[in-house]
Amino acid sequence: MLKRLLVIFLLTALVGIFSLTTSASPEGQTLIFGATGELRTLDPHVSVDNNAWRAIYYCYDRLVEYELGTTELAPGLAESWKVSPGGLTYTFYLRKGIKFIDGTPFNAEAVKFNFDRLLGMALAPSGTFGFIDRVDVVAEYTVNFILKEPFAPGVSAFATDQGNIVGPGVMDHEVNGDWGQDWLTEHSAGTGPFYVEEWTHGVRVVLARNDDYWGEPAKLEKVVIKYVPEAADLRMLLETGEVDIGEKLTVDQIEAMKGTPGVTVFEAPSFCCHYVYMNCQKPYLNDVRVRQAISYAVNYDGIINDLWRGTATQMRGPVPMGLVGHDDTVFQYQQDLDKAKGLLAEAGYPGGGFTLRIMVAPVIPEWRPMALVIQESLAQIGIKVEIESYAWATLRDKLDKGDFDMSHGYWTPDYADADMFTWFWFNSENWGLAGNRSWYKNAVMDELVTRSRTEVDPDRRLGLFRGIQWIGTSDAVYLYLLQTNYQIVMRDWVRGYVYNPMLLNMPNFPDMYIEK
Amino acid sequence: MNLLTYIVKRVFLIVPIVLGVLAITFLISHIVPGDAAQLMAGPRATPEIIERIRHEHGLDRPLYVQFGVYIAHVFRGDLGKSILTRRPVAADIADYFPATFELTTTALLLAVIVGIPLGIVSAVQKDRILDQLSRLTSVIGVSMPIFWLGLLLMLFFYMRLGLLPGPGRITGASPSHITGLFVLDSVLTGDWRALGDSLLHLVMPAFVLGYAVLARVVRMTRSSMLDVFGQDYIQTARAKGLIERAVIYKHALRNALIPTLTVVGLSYGELLGGAVATELIFAWPGMAHYVVGSMSSLDFPAVMGVTMVIALIYILVNLLVDISYAFIDPRIRY
Amino acid sequence: MHLSTLESDTKRRSSRDSEWRSAFRSLRRSPLAVLGLVIIGVLVVLAIFAPLLAPYSPTTMHLSERLSPPSSKYLFGTDDVGRDILSRVIYGSRISLRICTLVVGLTIGIGTILGIISGYWGGWIDELIMRISDVFLAFPALILAMAIAAALGPSLENVILAMVVIWWPRYARVTRGQVLVLREIDYIVAARAVGVHNRRIIMRHILPNCISPVLIQATLDMGEVLLTAATLSFIGFGAQPPTPEWGAMISLGRNYLRDNWWYATFPGLAILLTVIGFNLLGDAARDILDPRLRHGAR
Repeated sequence: MLKRLLVIFLLTALVGIFSLTTSASPEGQTLIFGATGELRTLDPHVSVDNNAWRAIYYCYDRLVEYELGTTELAPGLAESWKVSPGGLTYTFYLRKGIKFIDGTPFNAEAVKFNFDRLLGMALAPSGTFGFIDRVDVVAEYTVNFILKEPFAPGVSAFATDQGNIVGPGVMDHEVNGDWGQDWLTEHSAGTGPFYVEEWTHGVRVVLARNDDYWGEPAKLEKVVIKYVPEAADLRMLLETGEVDIGEKLTVDQIEAMKGTPGVTVFEAPSFCCHYVYMNCQKPYLNDVRVRQAISYAVNYDGIINDLWRGTATQMRGPVPMGLVGHDDTVFQYQQDLDKAKGLLAEAGYPGGGFTLRIMVAPVIPEWRPMALVIQESLAQIGIKVEIESYAWATLRDKLDKGDFDMSHGYWTPDYADADMFTWFWFNSENWGLAGNRSWYKNAVMDELVTRSRTEVDPDRRLGLFRGIQWIGTSDAVYLYLLQTNYQIVMRDWVRGYVYNPMLLNMPNFPDMYIEK
Repeated sequence: MNLLTYIVKRVFLIVPIVLGVLAITFLISHIVPGDAAQLMAGPRATPEIIERIRHEHGLDRPLYVQFGVYIAHVFRGDLGKSILTRRPVAADIADYFPATFELTTTALLLAVIVGIPLGIVSAVQKDRILDQLSRLTSVIGVSMPIFWLGLLLMLFFYMRLGLLPGPGRITGASPSHITGLFVLDSVLTGDWRALGDSLLHLVMPAFVLGYAVLARVVRMTRSSMLDVFGQDYIQTARAKGLIERAVIYKHALRNALIPTLTVVGLSYGELLGGAVATELIFAWPGMAHYVVGSMSSLDFPAVMGVTMVIALIYILVNLLVDISYAFIDPRIRY
Repeated sequence: MHLSTLESDTKRRSSRDSEWRSAFRSLRRSPLAVLGLVIIGVLVVLAIFAPLLAPYSPTTMHLSERLSPPSSKYLFGTDDVGRDILSRVIYGSRISLRICTLVVGLTIGIGTILGIISGYWGGWIDELIMRISDVFLAFPALILAMAIAAALGPSLENVILAMVVIWWPRYARVTRGQVLVLREIDYIVAARAVGVHNRRIIMRHILPNCISPVLIQATLDMGEVLLTAATLSFIGFGAQPPTPEWGAMISLGRNYLRDNWWYATFPGLAILLTVIGFNLLGDAARDILDPRLRHGAR
């Protein structure tokens, strides 16, 4: 009896001491994040820019969220949900007692308003929810989404930034039927653990903690997202400790920083893929043998080991490794100049003898050196490559018009489903910027990607994905270059960071804190 | 003619130039490849949405109509809405202008305050060591690529030695916003920490930007001082036995001021241009930086707005220089 | 202005020859001018003999030796894809020379023609050309060049085009100024009155006397042209990879400044020296050719 009491007493003491030390998550917590890209708008229904999502994501909540550090879905603003047997209706049961930052109550009407706004404004983010036909309010806290047709990854779409729930209060600021866009560009109107306190253009965005948050409050009082346009400057600021955490530094810079005292480099595989689009509607590239020859000619090792210093892996097929649906037995091209030359000859171009243009954009500094390596590789089989550097907006415009031969590109999935890499990349309906940037058309592929969207049986879906990956690779629709590791650099006193491959540029601010 | 008439006449002459400037910026932004409506709509928009946006912004009307509408708006102060930030361009410019103004003015002040005395000393000490040195640094100054100088200075004083702060206008919090000019605002609000902070941040960029102008001012002051020294009336004054210093300051300087003023006025355009590279390197959130950003993103309302504003400022500065000539030297007012 | 007024053609020509000869003599006497000449001379030699002088090809990538510091193997080090920087700087001289000569050459051509037309005929065409010049001169050069280059698309050719579009007004102005003065000279007025063909007057009397001021302006401008082109490339609107243009190289080297200082330093040094050379030459040219300075109090 006495022993038991003693044990209980010791345990309680231990717990007490433990909680004392861990409440060194003190007040007065400001995290300074160094961003190399400037955001343009804070409106989640307008923005498709990771730089903006970083600031926006945690000012809002979504019906469904990612489980911390995983791609699994967990309840968010919705306590639970169900999918109808035919897959055509999603019913969400919402939490009660939540208010938006401006005080308006959160309920089914608010959810309906949010999606009406998203789909009504019909800008880029609405594409993620193109499968929704309409939204019905069933009860005060129950809402139905009626789909146009079954969409297997449908529920995951609600965890993306495009699924941020914007409060109906924005309509108080509406001007000329703009759905309050002008106002929401500069403010936040969500239910999330933070809200936008200040945005000084070209300088910084300040997020402040929402003290009335319905869930677990954030430990940080403020998050300052400081705009540092030069990666070299960001590095300096991290080293001097003026900035606590930063990303999008170059591979070389990060390499040099590993070993700096007080600085931690976090690295993990991600789903971000860098690849090259080959315009299948253009001469030479419309012949699959030419595309295969190109795939055999590229010096993959040079790119991965020298340029990327081993922080990337060669892609194996169009679906990234680690994503459900990835087929690890899919063929992977390796450099084989003889095979490449042979294929070119078969296609009717012995020794090459033609010129292709490849596009790069200065905003992604890694593309230029990769293009140079590709240029050199293809020169060895007789194909001359001209590198053209365009402003980001011009490049995207040319992609959308098909006005190019080859171009660098990168892609990250919005939701954790292979569909992000198959439907968008291979469906002939998605020619151009929408996703099929090789302007590829194959009736069999169209059939496969469409069916994989609506197929509800998971095994059959996997089979469909396998077929898609095999055709995508043997048809050499894209140059499958690399799957990069995600790297983020932070000071030792930053705690609580948990990596989520689906939230690449949105570190989990609500769980992070400073411990100096 | 008297000063007022001269001023009025000059101002009138400016109007067609301003219109010309507007026309050129308008034309340039329409050579830009890329469909503006498409850019505004975003990558996943359908053709219907693009058409709607095109119509909303009047992009489907003939060019001369668009130009006319644009001019009407400009005179109302409406410079259009930026495609990227979706704010009025005028608001964006108002945000970024103070930073550029602070930078270019400091650079100019530096060039003049250091340059004129240096030029005088150079002229007085003609061909001696000090003169040779200042001439050498002058030549280097006008030949130096600004962006390179900036990078080197940053490498030494910031990265290697840690003597000066890094890029940006200020490390800590900015002073409360009154004019947007950090130095002025800090003084006005008594925020001494911010004053020191922002001044330190100004050192490198202002020096880099002003170096070329400094070199020119030194050269110009020196050569016009030498010209004046050779004049008869100066020889007379010397022969009369007036003290050397009085000779220099009273007569030579006043006459040497006019060519120097020319240089200063003409250099302002160079400063505005040089600000582009300087702002990029030192992450200075000013207009030049904004221009590059909008040009890269084909944000043509912003490009038109900023180019026009910068050109107008330049025209204004030249006008002021012209008027000051007329003020100083009545012979010029033909 | 120096004019041999009442002498015959041949005598005029021979006196101009001796003018040039005395010009060269004074050039030789000034050490700074010689320095300028030497620098530009080196530039031209590098440009012409680049393939012989450069140790490597400017485009060959030695990937495993990327970002190596200056060594006996790579005198200026290598860049981020392993190319030898010394070779690239040497080949870059070709590009720099090309830019300067094309821009200055074209602007002289266009500007002089328009200036002569403007000054000689006067009237509404003069007004028109001068107003257009004013508008172009109303822009800070770099800003307008940037706008045009951005609109046309980034490439070296577009940068050259943009600069020609901006620069010609200067030469138009200078030439026009000369023509206006020349026009009033007695024997030209007489020649016109008598009915001598305009073309003959322009070609024989006016054009040759415009050369001096234009030449002065040109040599002074060369340096500025190079700087502007380099700045445009630095910002990103100019030369495209893998062109070894000096400004573009500095722009790329910017991210490696901390640990790989050589990448951005040597191209910048090349620009600096070249522009100094042009400026020294330009100063010398002005000192020698500008009669106002020659005969004025110095």
